[in-house]
Amino acid sequence: MDRRDFLGTGAASTAGMLFFPGNLLAESAKEENKQRLVRQLPYTMDGEWKEFELYIDLHTHEPAPGFKYHTLAFNDMVPGPEIRVNAGDKVRVKFTNRTDLNHTIHWHGLYVPWRMDGVPFVTQLPVMPKNEFIYEFVAEPEGTHFYHCHWGTLMHMQAGMFGSVIVENPDDPIKKKFPYEREYTLVYSSHDTNYIREEMNSMLERMKQRSFLMKEGRFTSEQWAVFDNKEQLLDSMEKGYQPPYLNNRRSNSDLPQANWFTVNGKSYPSTPYLFIKSGENIRIRLINAGAETHHLHLHGHDFWMVADDGVPIEHPWKRNTVPLTPGKTFDIVVEGKNRGIWTFHDHDTRKVTNNGLYPGGNLLALVYEDLPEDELIISKYSGNPMYNPKAGMSDMKGMKSMEKNEMNGMDKMMFGQDKLPKIALDE
Amino acid sequence: MKNLLYIIIFISGWGYAQITPEFEIGAKGVFSGNLNFNSDESSAVSDFSDTQLLMGLRQKLYNDWRAQFVLGLQFPDANSNLGQVFYNNIFVRLEDKKNIFKVGRTLAQTNLNEFPTLRDDDAQRFTYALNPFSDGVNTERDQYANVLEYARVFKQRFFVSVHGENFYDSTEPDDFRLNSMGLTLLYRVPESQRWNRNVLQEIGLSYNNYFTDRSGYSNDFDASVKNLLFSTTINLKPDPINFVDFRFQAIQNFGWDEVTTLNDYFDYTRTESTTLFGTVRYLKQKLERPHYQLAIGGGYKSLSNLGLDSDQFMFIANGFYRLGQDFDIGLQYRYSDNKGLTEILFGKSEHRVQLALVYSFSKIFNKQFGDREDLLNLEHNYIK
Repeated sequence: MDRRDFLGTGAASTAGMLFFPGNLLAESAKEENKQRLVRQLPYTMDGEWKEFELYIDLHTHEPAPGFKYHTLAFNDMVPGPEIRVNAGDKVRVKFTNRTDLNHTIHWHGLYVPWRMDGVPFVTQLPVMPKNEFIYEFVAEPEGTHFYHCHWGTLMHMQAGMFGSVIVENPDDPIKKKFPYEREYTLVYSSHDTNYIREEMNSMLERMKQRSFLMKEGRFTSEQWAVFDNKEQLLDSMEKGYQPPYLNNRRSNSDLPQANWFTVNGKSYPSTPYLFIKSGENIRIRLINAGAETHHLHLHGHDFWMVADDGVPIEHPWKRNTVPLTPGKTFDIVVEGKNRGIWTFHDHDTRKVTNNGLYPGGNLLALVYEDLPEDELIISKYSGNPMYNPKAGMSDMKGMKSMEKNEMNGMDKMMFGQDKLPKIALDE
Repeated sequence: MKNLLYIIIFISGWGYAQITPEFEIGAKGVFSGNLNFNSDESSAVSDFSDTQLLMGLRQKLYNDWRAQFVLGLQFPDANSNLGQVFYNNIFVRLEDKKNIFKVGRTLAQTNLNEFPTLRDDDAQRFTYALNPFSDGVNTERDQYANVLEYARVFKQRFFVSVHGENFYDSTEPDDFRLNSMGLTLLYRVPESQRWNRNVLQEIGLSYNNYFTDRSGYSNDFDASVKNLLFSTTINLKPDPINFVDFRFQAIQNFGWDEVTTLNDYFDYTRTESTTLFGTVRYLKQKLERPHYQLAIGGGYKSLSNLGLDSDQFMFIANGFYRLGQDFDIGLQYRYSDNKGLTEILFGKSEHRVQLALVYSFSKIFNKQFGDREDLLNLEHNYIK
């Protein structure tokens, strides 16, 4: 191993997140990419029930190298682990709240019994600090769904409390129409990390006081801001109670303005790669667990729209841009018909930013595994005569016998190795 | 001229886009009607002193450091000799997780506690180690100084600081050399964790050495006035609804032996004295907001080196009721009594009743990073 290799390996293992361009087509890249994909939650069988365990805890999350913030994470990961079951399975989820805040779990898009729907004060009481709640339901309908916290949803969801639920149909009509082996789940979200920090601090402070009062049996509905009915609320107001939304009590003057945009909890350059081969179909399950719309556009391809909110589309249609609105799921199938490395990104480019700087956020790539490494060399296929004297010749791609035109010293200084793709952090 | 131009270009960041800093604005308005019943004469006064405005700009620096620039102004007493406006805070602060540097004008470490009084200087002769260079015309010269301070933070709540100050010298107002040095040791529970501490909120010790010109002494240390402060805050009832705490501070001024009479304020600050001051405060919270507060306290100061038995006493009681967000109405009664030579300097006694409307506000705009004392940073892994 020479010094350069040693440095490369060292950096990859310590940073852990960054691909080195030369390695993008290597096996190790695919192995590393697993960290960027959602992880499946294992289950145990209890009779005919599939039992899953989810816990929520405070977590330090790093969406892009060097930037960390506090999150609420299921099983210490953002997004939470994927629950994957077959349609008709009996599902039991043991949920433990390890935080000092209240939470619930809502099963978005699933036909759960109403008392399992996770809406605080409507279908259940919140899961209090250090408490647990057992959710039981039959997995239906089939398709791409997700779960998220329904307590303090504005903050808790963007703080990281979401994860995918995939209900598989063994007789899947989509798979019959578009045979595929590989599939990817991409969970989109947007985060105002400053809002998250301030709200989490304030919630934790309030909850410490509330827990203290609860233990002493001195907690009242007015302190809780929870009432049995409207009459009780109005009666309290008659006696001088002022609801928190009145501007002389408590109000948050600033609604969140997202400054980080993530796919599977990661922002560019840590976003996942979607690997494909020529002739292969891949299915991509798109979930928007955030509060912003993402106009997702794939370069160089049209893709098939095959499911909408988990419901298979009887007559799929093609497009290359799809608006993924909050709470929405779409399934798309990409046919491997145009070998290369293709960007798949939010075309609302305000969301291709990290903390306001482009590029970042929702920027990822579809990567053909069968792409010859040779095509990555800048000087061989560049359209810029400065790098490639034969630029503009129509059969440029097939120039196997072309002489090697290595980049000169100046180019090397500016662009490093004579290879694509690179990681650009400030265009 | 050319050099100046280069400096301007450097400061303006070569024309690059600027990162907007965190912008903090704080305001306090204290408006009171005062009724003074002195042993000599009585008076009624409309008073808005201690009203102040504070502005802070804070930014993240490289290598996990942060910097803050603070500018504050205060409206002093009409007869304070400070003009219409006194710039009480003009300083820059550099800090990382373990270190804090402060340079500029701000509160000196001559008071380690915040007592629940209507105005910061209501019990100033009991709550501050007094500036021996001041003629005593105003209280601001005792509270604020041009400081150079370094503090090291241990385990989130132990602060060890060394500091040098330039206290305003009434006899040499243009002398800006450091005329005081000191060392402060402080254990302080972060604000967000104070209400539920079983006993101790804060305890500290501060030593201040003022380099006075003492005739007959050539050694700087021997010629100096030395003060030692001890301060503590104890929770008597840690409770989110009915909270009671006790605050106490003792100041030992080691003074000059030769000052045995009080001809002026300089003598008062340079003679040996022992000062004790304490308050008990009850805070009633309603729906996680302050509802009302009652406090009672008193101080005693003994000037033991004077030729005539001299001491001072103060009793203070007040109550504040929250009218709504940021606005409080308050009533304060203060009785002060001076005996011996202090009576000549300050009058025999005074009863003062104040009815006040207080406005206080503080908000950080464009907040971009967490504070050292955020619960998340304290309890869930510090993020730089």
